[in-house]
Amino acid sequence: MAERSYRSAAGAAIALRRRQHSASCRELAVRCPRLQLRSLSAVTSAVWLAAYGLFVLTQNSMVLSAAIFITLIGLIIYLHFVKVDQESLLVIGSLGIQVTSSYASGKESTTFIEMGQVKDVVINEAIHMQKVIYYLCILLQDPGDPQGVSEVVPLFQSSKPRLDCLIEVYKSCQEILEQRKTAPQSS
Amino acid sequence: ENSPAPLPERAIYGFALFLGSSFGFMLYLIWAYVPETWLFSLGLTYWPQKYWAVALPAYLLVAIGIGYILLFGINMMSTAPLNSTHTVTDNYAKKQQQKKFQEEAIPALRDIPISEVNRMFFLPEK
Repeated sequence: MAERSYRSAAGAAIALRRRQHSASCRELAVRCPRLQLRSLSAVTSAVWLAAYGLFVLTQNSMVLSAAIFITLIGLIIYLHFVKVDQESLLVIGSLGIQVTSSYASGKESTTFIEMGQVKDVVINEAIHMQKVIYYLCILLQDPGDPQGVSEVVPLFQSSKPRLDCLIEVYKSCQEILEQRKTAPQSS
Repeated sequence: ENSPAPLPERAIYGFALFLGSSFGFMLYLIWAYVPETWLFSLGLTYWPQKYWAVALPAYLLVAIGIGYILLFGINMMSTAPLNSTHTVTDNYAKKQQQKKFQEEAIPALRDIPISEVNRMFFLPEK
Protein backbone atom coordinates (compact mmCIF):
# COMPACT_ATOMS: atom_id res chain seq x y z
CA MET A 1 0.00 0.00 0.00
CA ALA A 2 1.62 3.24 -1.11
CA GLU A 3 0.30 6.78 -1.28
CA ARG A 4 1.88 9.47 -3.42
CA SER A 5 0.83 13.04 -3.99
CA TYR A 6 0.35 14.54 -7.43
CA ARG A 7 -1.35 17.57 -8.98
CA SER A 8 -4.67 17.78 -10.76
CA ALA A 9 -5.09 19.48 -14.14
CA ALA A 10 -6.17 22.68 -12.36
CA GLY A 11 -3.23 22.61 -9.94
CA ALA A 12 -4.93 21.26 -6.80
CA ALA A 13 -3.09 18.63 -4.71
CA ILE A 14 -4.40 15.08 -5.09
CA ALA A 15 -3.14 11.76 -3.73
CA LEU A 16 -2.97 8.37 -5.44
CA ARG A 17 -3.16 5.23 -3.31
CA ARG A 18 -2.31 1.84 -4.79
CA ARG A 19 -3.27 -1.45 -3.13
CA GLN A 20 -2.53 -4.88 -4.45
CA HIS A 21 -5.08 -7.35 -3.12
CA SER A 22 -3.78 -10.33 -5.07
CA ALA A 23 -1.83 -11.18 -8.18
CA SER A 24 -4.73 -10.28 -10.45
CA CYS A 25 -6.58 -7.69 -8.36
CA ARG A 26 -5.53 -4.08 -7.84
CA GLU A 27 -7.23 -1.02 -6.41
CA LEU A 28 -6.20 2.50 -7.37
CA ALA A 29 -7.81 5.38 -5.47
CA VAL A 30 -7.40 9.09 -6.15
CA ARG A 31 -8.31 11.39 -3.27
CA CYS A 32 -9.46 14.89 -4.20
CA PRO A 33 -8.67 17.97 -2.07
CA ARG A 34 -11.14 18.58 0.77
CA LEU A 35 -13.58 21.49 0.82
CA GLN A 36 -11.59 24.50 2.01
CA LEU A 37 -12.90 26.46 4.98
CA ARG A 38 -11.83 29.76 3.43
CA SER A 39 -13.77 29.21 0.19
CA LEU A 40 -16.83 28.08 2.14
CA SER A 41 -16.75 31.18 4.37
CA ALA A 42 -16.07 33.43 1.37
CA VAL A 43 -19.16 32.16 -0.50
CA THR A 44 -21.35 32.29 2.63
CA SER A 45 -20.23 35.86 3.46
CA ALA A 46 -20.81 37.00 -0.11
CA VAL A 47 -24.35 35.55 -0.22
CA TRP A 48 -25.24 36.95 3.19
CA LEU A 49 -23.79 40.41 2.45
CA ALA A 50 -25.79 40.53 -0.80
CA ALA A 51 -28.93 39.49 1.11
CA TYR A 52 -28.29 42.18 3.75
CA GLY A 53 -27.84 44.75 0.96
CA LEU A 54 -31.19 43.68 -0.52
CA PHE A 55 -32.77 43.90 2.95
CA VAL A 56 -31.52 47.45 3.41
CA LEU A 57 -33.00 48.37 0.01
CA THR A 58 -36.36 46.64 0.34
CA GLN A 59 -36.79 46.51 4.18
CA ASN A 60 -38.25 43.03 3.75
CA SER A 61 -36.93 40.61 6.37
CA MET A 62 -37.92 37.58 4.29
CA VAL A 63 -34.80 38.24 2.23
CA LEU A 64 -32.57 37.39 5.20
CA SER A 65 -34.39 34.15 6.05
CA ALA A 66 -34.40 33.19 2.37
CA ALA A 67 -30.62 33.77 2.19
CA ILE A 68 -29.99 31.51 5.21
CA PHE A 69 -32.24 28.83 3.72
CA ILE A 70 -30.58 29.04 0.31
CA THR A 71 -27.10 28.80 1.83
CA LEU A 72 -27.98 25.69 3.83
CA ILE A 73 -29.81 23.92 1.01
CA GLY A 74 -27.10 24.88 -1.47
CA LEU A 75 -24.37 23.51 0.77
CA ILE A 76 -26.20 20.20 1.26
CA ILE A 77 -26.84 19.81 -2.47
CA TYR A 78 -23.22 20.67 -3.25
CA LEU A 79 -21.82 18.13 -0.77
CA HIS A 80 -24.20 15.39 -1.86
CA PHE A 81 -24.18 15.73 -5.64
CA VAL A 82 -21.14 17.73 -6.72
CA LYS A 83 -18.18 17.48 -4.34
CA VAL A 84 -16.30 14.23 -4.94
CA ASP A 85 -14.07 13.06 -2.12
CA GLN A 86 -12.44 10.00 -3.66
CA GLU A 87 -12.55 8.18 -6.99
CA SER A 88 -11.31 4.63 -7.12
CA LEU A 89 -10.70 1.98 -9.73
CA LEU A 90 -10.75 -1.72 -8.80
CA VAL A 91 -9.37 -3.99 -11.53
CA ILE A 92 -10.05 -7.71 -11.04
CA GLY A 93 -8.25 -9.73 -13.68
CA SER A 94 -10.83 -12.25 -14.81
CA LEU A 95 -13.94 -10.51 -13.59
CA GLY A 96 -14.09 -6.86 -14.57
CA ILE A 97 -13.46 -3.27 -13.57
CA GLN A 98 -15.34 -1.40 -10.86
CA VAL A 99 -15.39 2.40 -10.76
CA THR A 100 -16.48 4.07 -7.50
CA SER A 101 -17.03 7.75 -6.72
CA SER A 102 -17.45 8.76 -3.07
CA TYR A 103 -19.03 12.12 -2.45
CA ALA A 104 -18.34 14.42 0.48
CA SER A 105 -21.69 13.61 2.12
CA GLY A 106 -20.81 9.90 2.20
CA LYS A 107 -22.75 8.84 -0.89
CA GLU A 108 -21.00 6.28 -3.08
CA SER A 109 -21.85 5.66 -6.69
CA THR A 110 -20.48 2.51 -8.32
CA THR A 111 -20.27 1.21 -11.88
CA PHE A 112 -19.12 -2.27 -12.81
CA ILE A 113 -17.93 -3.23 -16.29
CA GLU A 114 -17.35 -6.92 -16.95
CA MET A 115 -14.07 -8.00 -18.51
CA GLY A 116 -15.74 -9.34 -21.66
CA GLN A 117 -16.81 -5.82 -22.59
CA VAL A 118 -13.48 -4.15 -21.84
CA LYS A 119 -11.29 -3.68 -24.90
CA ASP A 120 -8.52 -1.66 -23.28
CA VAL A 121 -7.70 1.04 -20.74
CA VAL A 122 -5.91 3.94 -22.44
CA ILE A 123 -4.79 7.50 -21.82
CA ASN A 124 -6.62 9.71 -24.31
CA GLU A 125 -6.16 13.40 -25.09
CA ALA A 126 -9.16 15.59 -25.82
CA ILE A 127 -10.21 19.22 -25.88
CA HIS A 128 -12.07 20.19 -22.72
CA MET A 129 -13.12 23.78 -21.96
CA GLN A 130 -10.45 25.56 -24.05
CA LYS A 131 -7.71 23.19 -22.82
CA VAL A 132 -6.29 19.91 -24.04
CA ILE A 133 -6.24 17.41 -21.18
CA TYR A 134 -5.06 13.85 -20.74
CA TYR A 135 -7.61 11.54 -19.19
CA LEU A 136 -7.79 7.84 -18.54
CA CYS A 137 -10.64 5.98 -20.19
CA ILE A 138 -11.95 2.44 -20.66
CA LEU A 139 -12.65 1.44 -24.27
CA LEU A 140 -15.64 -0.87 -24.51
CA GLN A 141 -15.86 -3.47 -27.19
CA ASP A 142 -18.64 -3.85 -29.70
CA PRO A 143 -19.72 -7.52 -29.49
CA GLY A 144 -20.19 -7.73 -33.26
CA ASP A 145 -16.94 -6.03 -34.24
CA PRO A 146 -13.84 -7.09 -32.27
CA GLN A 147 -11.72 -4.29 -33.73
CA GLY A 148 -14.16 -1.45 -33.13
CA VAL A 149 -14.74 0.71 -30.07
CA SER A 150 -18.40 0.94 -29.10
CA GLU A 151 -18.13 3.26 -26.13
CA VAL A 152 -15.60 5.36 -24.22
CA VAL A 153 -15.94 5.59 -20.42
CA PRO A 154 -13.84 8.43 -18.99
CA LEU A 155 -12.41 7.88 -15.49
CA PHE A 156 -11.37 10.27 -12.69
CA GLN A 157 -13.56 13.06 -14.04
CA SER A 158 -13.63 15.15 -10.86
CA SER A 159 -10.02 14.85 -9.77
CA LYS A 160 -8.54 15.12 -13.32
CA PRO A 161 -5.02 13.92 -12.52
CA ARG A 162 -2.11 15.03 -14.67
CA LEU A 163 -0.09 12.82 -16.97
CA ASP A 164 2.42 11.57 -14.37
CA CYS A 165 -0.32 10.16 -12.16
CA LEU A 166 -2.18 8.77 -15.17
CA ILE A 167 0.91 6.91 -16.38
CA GLU A 168 1.18 5.16 -12.99
CA VAL A 169 -2.46 4.11 -13.10
CA TYR A 170 -2.11 3.06 -16.75
CA LYS A 171 0.90 0.82 -16.05
CA SER A 172 -0.87 -0.84 -13.12
CA CYS A 173 -3.96 -1.54 -15.20
CA GLN A 174 -1.98 -2.85 -18.16
CA GLU A 175 -0.15 -5.35 -15.96
CA ILE A 176 -3.49 -6.88 -15.01
CA LEU A 177 -5.01 -6.65 -18.49
CA GLU A 178 -2.05 -8.38 -20.09
CA GLN A 179 -2.73 -11.44 -17.97
CA ARG A 180 -6.01 -12.10 -19.71
CA LYS A 181 -4.26 -12.57 -23.04
CA THR A 182 -1.77 -15.14 -21.68
CA ALA A 183 -4.31 -16.88 -19.43
CA PRO A 184 -6.43 -19.56 -21.12
CA GLN A 185 -9.88 -18.39 -22.23
CA SER A 186 -12.46 -19.84 -19.88
CA SER A 187 -15.67 -18.44 -21.43
CA GLU B 1 -5.62 29.00 -64.61
CA ASN B 2 -6.05 30.46 -61.15
CA SER B 3 -3.33 33.02 -60.63
CA PRO B 4 -3.67 36.06 -58.37
CA ALA B 5 -2.09 38.37 -60.97
CA PRO B 6 -3.89 41.59 -61.94
CA LEU B 7 -5.83 41.09 -65.19
CA PRO B 8 -7.84 43.54 -67.32
CA GLU B 9 -11.10 41.76 -66.40
CA ARG B 10 -10.32 42.09 -62.70
CA ALA B 11 -9.57 45.79 -63.12
CA ILE B 12 -12.95 46.29 -64.82
CA TYR B 13 -14.80 44.33 -62.09
CA GLY B 14 -13.03 46.36 -59.45
CA PHE B 15 -13.89 49.66 -61.06
CA ALA B 16 -17.53 48.65 -61.56
CA LEU B 17 -17.75 47.63 -57.88
CA PHE B 18 -16.14 50.93 -56.87
CA LEU B 19 -18.64 52.97 -58.88
CA GLY B 20 -21.57 50.89 -57.61
CA SER B 21 -20.57 51.16 -53.96
CA SER B 22 -19.89 54.93 -54.21
CA PHE B 23 -23.31 55.42 -55.82
CA GLY B 24 -24.94 53.32 -53.10
CA PHE B 25 -23.22 55.30 -50.37
CA MET B 26 -24.26 58.67 -51.94
CA LEU B 27 -27.84 57.37 -52.20
CA TYR B 28 -27.79 56.34 -48.53
CA LEU B 29 -26.46 59.76 -47.47
CA ILE B 30 -29.10 61.57 -49.52
CA TRP B 31 -31.88 59.39 -48.10
CA ALA B 32 -30.66 59.89 -44.52
CA TYR B 33 -29.96 63.65 -44.54
CA VAL B 34 -32.14 65.38 -47.16
CA PRO B 35 -35.42 66.51 -45.51
CA GLU B 36 -38.57 64.67 -46.56
CA THR B 37 -40.29 67.77 -47.96
CA TRP B 38 -37.50 68.39 -50.46
CA LEU B 39 -37.71 64.74 -51.63
CA PHE B 40 -41.51 64.99 -51.95
CA SER B 41 -41.20 68.18 -54.04
CA LEU B 42 -38.90 66.27 -56.42
CA GLY B 43 -41.58 63.59 -56.74
CA LEU B 44 -39.71 60.86 -54.77
CA THR B 45 -42.40 59.81 -52.31
CA TYR B 46 -42.13 56.03 -52.02
CA TRP B 47 -38.90 55.71 -50.01
CA PRO B 48 -38.57 53.83 -46.70
CA GLN B 49 -38.91 55.66 -43.41
CA LYS B 50 -35.81 57.53 -42.26
CA TYR B 51 -35.98 55.52 -39.03
CA TRP B 52 -34.29 52.69 -40.91
CA ALA B 53 -31.31 54.86 -41.85
CA VAL B 54 -30.26 54.62 -38.19
CA ALA B 55 -31.81 51.26 -37.32
CA LEU B 56 -30.09 49.18 -40.00
CA PRO B 57 -26.50 50.15 -39.05
CA ALA B 58 -27.36 49.61 -35.39
CA TYR B 59 -28.77 46.14 -36.13
CA LEU B 60 -25.68 45.32 -38.20
CA LEU B 61 -23.22 46.30 -35.47
CA VAL B 62 -25.10 44.36 -32.79
CA ALA B 63 -25.28 41.34 -35.11
CA ILE B 64 -21.51 41.47 -35.63
CA GLY B 65 -20.93 41.65 -31.88
CA ILE B 66 -23.26 38.73 -31.22
CA GLY B 67 -21.57 36.85 -34.05
CA TYR B 68 -18.30 36.71 -32.10
CA ILE B 69 -20.06 35.20 -29.08
CA LEU B 70 -22.16 32.89 -31.27
CA LEU B 71 -19.09 31.55 -33.06
CA PHE B 72 -17.40 30.88 -29.73
CA GLY B 73 -20.52 29.04 -28.52
CA ILE B 74 -20.89 27.00 -31.71
CA ASN B 75 -17.28 25.91 -31.40
CA MET B 76 -17.81 24.80 -27.84
CA MET B 77 -20.94 22.87 -28.78
CA SER B 78 -19.23 21.13 -31.70
CA THR B 79 -16.34 19.86 -29.56
CA ALA B 80 -16.80 16.17 -28.96
CA PRO B 81 -17.52 15.35 -25.29
CA LEU B 82 -14.99 13.28 -23.38
CA ASN B 83 -17.12 10.13 -23.57
CA SER B 84 -17.62 10.05 -27.34
CA THR B 85 -15.86 7.66 -29.71
CA HIS B 86 -15.03 10.61 -31.99
CA THR B 87 -12.05 11.38 -29.73
CA VAL B 88 -10.57 7.99 -30.60
CA THR B 89 -11.57 7.14 -34.15
CA ASP B 90 -13.70 8.24 -37.11
CA ASN B 91 -15.30 6.86 -40.28
CA TYR B 92 -12.14 6.99 -42.37
CA ALA B 93 -10.09 5.15 -39.77
CA LYS B 94 -12.71 2.44 -39.38
CA LYS B 95 -12.85 1.70 -43.11
CA GLN B 96 -9.13 1.87 -43.86
CA GLN B 97 -7.53 -1.02 -45.72
CA GLN B 98 -4.32 -2.59 -44.52
CA LYS B 99 -1.57 -2.61 -47.11
CA LYS B 100 0.76 -5.62 -47.16
CA PHE B 101 4.09 -5.16 -45.42
CA GLN B 102 7.00 -5.05 -47.90
CA GLU B 103 10.60 -5.58 -46.88
CA GLU B 104 12.85 -2.50 -46.96
CA ALA B 105 9.99 -0.21 -48.00
CA ILE B 106 8.59 2.64 -45.93
CA PRO B 107 5.41 1.32 -44.24
CA ALA B 108 2.17 2.64 -45.73
CA LEU B 109 0.42 5.55 -44.04
CA ARG B 110 -2.36 4.42 -41.70
CA ASP B 111 -4.24 5.45 -38.59
CA ILE B 112 -2.57 3.69 -35.65
CA PRO B 113 -5.06 2.46 -33.02
CA ILE B 114 -4.89 4.27 -29.71
CA SER B 115 -3.98 1.12 -27.72
CA GLU B 116 -0.85 0.68 -29.80
CA VAL B 117 0.08 4.37 -29.45
CA ASN B 118 -0.32 4.16 -25.68
CA ARG B 119 1.85 1.08 -25.43
CA MET B 120 4.54 2.79 -27.47
CA PHE B 121 4.50 5.96 -25.35
CA PHE B 122 3.91 4.79 -21.82
CA LEU B 123 5.18 1.22 -21.49
CA PRO B 124 8.97 1.32 -21.86
CA GLU B 125 10.37 -1.59 -23.85
CA LYS B 126 12.75 -3.67 -21.79
